[in-house]
Amino acid sequence: MSIKQIAVFGYNSMSFELIKCLDLKQHEIVVVDHDESSLTSAAEMGFTVIATECHIDANLEQVGIGHHINVLFCFFPEDSENIFLTLSARALDKNLEIISIVENPESAEKLLVAGANKIIDPYQMSGRKIYQLVKNPDIANVLDHTIFGRHDLNMAEIKVLSGSFLENAMVKQLRIKDRHDLILIAIVDKELGKELHFTIGEKDHKLDADDILVVLGPSREIRAFKKEAERVT
Amino acid sequence: MLTRLIIRFAYFLKTSHRYRNAKMFFLDLLENSHSRLKSYFDLFMILLVMLSVFLLIYEIDNQPEPLSKWFEDFVVGVFIAEYVLRGWLYSDSHKILIEQYERSQYLGIKFRLRVPLGLILSRKLKYVFSPFAIIDLLAILPSYRPLRILRIFLIFRIFKLFRYSQSIKLFTEVLGSKRFELLTLAMFVGFLLFIASTAIYMFENESDGGRIRHLFDALYWSVVTMSTVGYGDITPQTPGGRIVALALIIIGLGVLAFFTSIIVTAFTEKMGELAENRTYTEVEKQEDFVIICGFGRVGQEVARQMEKDRQAFVVIDNSEKNAFVARKKGRLVIQNDASKNDVLLLAGINNGAKAVLCTTENDVINVYVTLSSRHLNPNIKIISRANRQENVDKLKLAGANFVVQPFEIAGLLAAEYVGQPVASQAILGILSEEKHILMETILIPKGSETDGMQIKQVEFEQRRLTLIGVISNNPLHSKHRNRYKVYNRHFYFNPAGEFVLQDGDILVLLGREYSIDHFKDQIEKSSL
Repeated sequence: MSIKQIAVFGYNSMSFELIKCLDLKQHEIVVVDHDESSLTSAAEMGFTVIATECHIDANLEQVGIGHHINVLFCFFPEDSENIFLTLSARALDKNLEIISIVENPESAEKLLVAGANKIIDPYQMSGRKIYQLVKNPDIANVLDHTIFGRHDLNMAEIKVLSGSFLENAMVKQLRIKDRHDLILIAIVDKELGKELHFTIGEKDHKLDADDILVVLGPSREIRAFKKEAERVT
Repeated sequence: MLTRLIIRFAYFLKTSHRYRNAKMFFLDLLENSHSRLKSYFDLFMILLVMLSVFLLIYEIDNQPEPLSKWFEDFVVGVFIAEYVLRGWLYSDSHKILIEQYERSQYLGIKFRLRVPLGLILSRKLKYVFSPFAIIDLLAILPSYRPLRILRIFLIFRIFKLFRYSQSIKLFTEVLGSKRFELLTLAMFVGFLLFIASTAIYMFENESDGGRIRHLFDALYWSVVTMSTVGYGDITPQTPGGRIVALALIIIGLGVLAFFTSIIVTAFTEKMGELAENRTYTEVEKQEDFVIICGFGRVGQEVARQMEKDRQAFVVIDNSEKNAFVARKKGRLVIQNDASKNDVLLLAGINNGAKAVLCTTENDVINVYVTLSSRHLNPNIKIISRANRQENVDKLKLAGANFVVQPFEIAGLLAAEYVGQPVASQAILGILSEEKHILMETILIPKGSETDGMQIKQVEFEQRRLTLIGVISNNPLHSKHRNRYKVYNRHFYFNPAGEFVLQDGDILVLLGREYSIDHFKDQIEKSSL
């Protein structure tokens, strides 16, 4: 897998958490901000930083948007800044992955229109988590350990490669649960479009190349399953 | 001798549990505004007052019946008992007595009964002359036969309602808060009426061709004119009288406007308090509710989720803007500082609340509120928001059961998206319960059909459910694989088909809302 080039615009506690979660071996990260003091603290943490005005296209190109940058994070505290950045970046590169945070829920739609691929509302997510902790702390804890990978349990996606053992297989016959000790959570069946389907025993899917499986399980089992799925005959 | 007997009796009262309990009971019945007993008693008294007044009106035209006489006696009996009891509760006479006695003992001077008796009497007299006690007495006195002439005062019973209704009480408080302005106005009006009556009496005297016969007529005309009512039964005839009328009408308009504005401002000032009182009354009625401190973006999201699930909650926020947003959405709001103990107490932290959420964007406030809440209630669940990683431990130390970091969650989700966009979508899907897919727990009750069943026998797939795992602290399961410690229990991920479910185990399931509900119902029914 080639190394992904990531640009994080706006340095604050959220972008710090983000960079902490990213695997630095697989990603090359550059932090961009117009505020000198934020950049100084980013540089102190050992990140590569660029100081530039972000609403000028030429500056964005200098950072590498439209060239080598694959993923762009818009983490400015102001929604308007993020929207402007998304618009400018989308105009420079049609294939760029743009992920933006949103402060005001009303701006979410505007960001999508501006060309963002993914919107993250930190307040909404934490509000939900807090409520989950009130309503059912067991679930919140399990989610912490599974989804948020506090333990060895992880959620991972596996692409069906043409020629692998997964191709042309029926999902139920694979018996992923027993054979691989993994739980199949969802599936993207290209025959049915790009949408994600949760697999809760409702119907069987026939797997084709480029379909994607989302599984939950211990890391070693995931690694083993991935290895097996990558073996192409 | 008598003195010693009285002092001994006072000490006896001080130590007697029965006496204290009786006093507490009557305090709850008559004075303690938080007690349920008082609200029943107030309602009963309101009905009694209304009935007795209706009876009075009925008897103006009709002959009294024996039944109504008995009723009247009963009402007066209740009123007298209430009057006496309130007098008794007003001050603790034995305490005054003991205090004075001990004081004289300490100082080594001779104890004189006269001093404490004087003090006790002055306290009780203070009660007798308090406005409410006067109203109470006026409601009783006219029933005494020799004072039949005071029958009209029976209507004073209506005033007794002031005692029993919170809103009427508030009205008097509002008027009371503007005492100075109202007094100034009253003095001005009195002065004005005096001048106007004298002037009109001089100009409009019958001997001068006017219609005013005596000073009372003059006063009557002045009041009618100044209040802009102007019946017109007495009209000024002389030019002098008319000038007085003109002046009085114009000044009268000003007086009325002034009076109205005093009342209106008093109510506007009390508006916030009124809304808060409503909140406190509502909170008192609730059980199992949640206190949300801070109504920013996170607080609002929590409130939205709770509203969806009909979970009761009350919001505390000090900021005008946030309180306004909450009020506009019809939430129960206390606009005050959540770090103050009395605010948390009024919000019901020890009175029906099951959790406190500290969701402000300021970690310092969150720590402080967490600490205050834990201090006030050692058993309540506290969930706090931490905006900086280094404050997580501080919040836990302050007593938070769980700490949530918005920026960490966002960072995790964003990072997940880079490597695994589809998996992150699945995560978001489960977290936001979209398409009604949710993760839910089901407890295995003792004696239900699933108790003692192997997992493969439950046939989750046919029930359209995915079993993620089982949470349990049963040592019977300890030999199974994929065991993860979650607080003081274990989470068994993807348990094998041979895993035997025990009562007290918790299943973690993924599925559609109705499949989960259906399964839950079945388990519950089978355990009955």
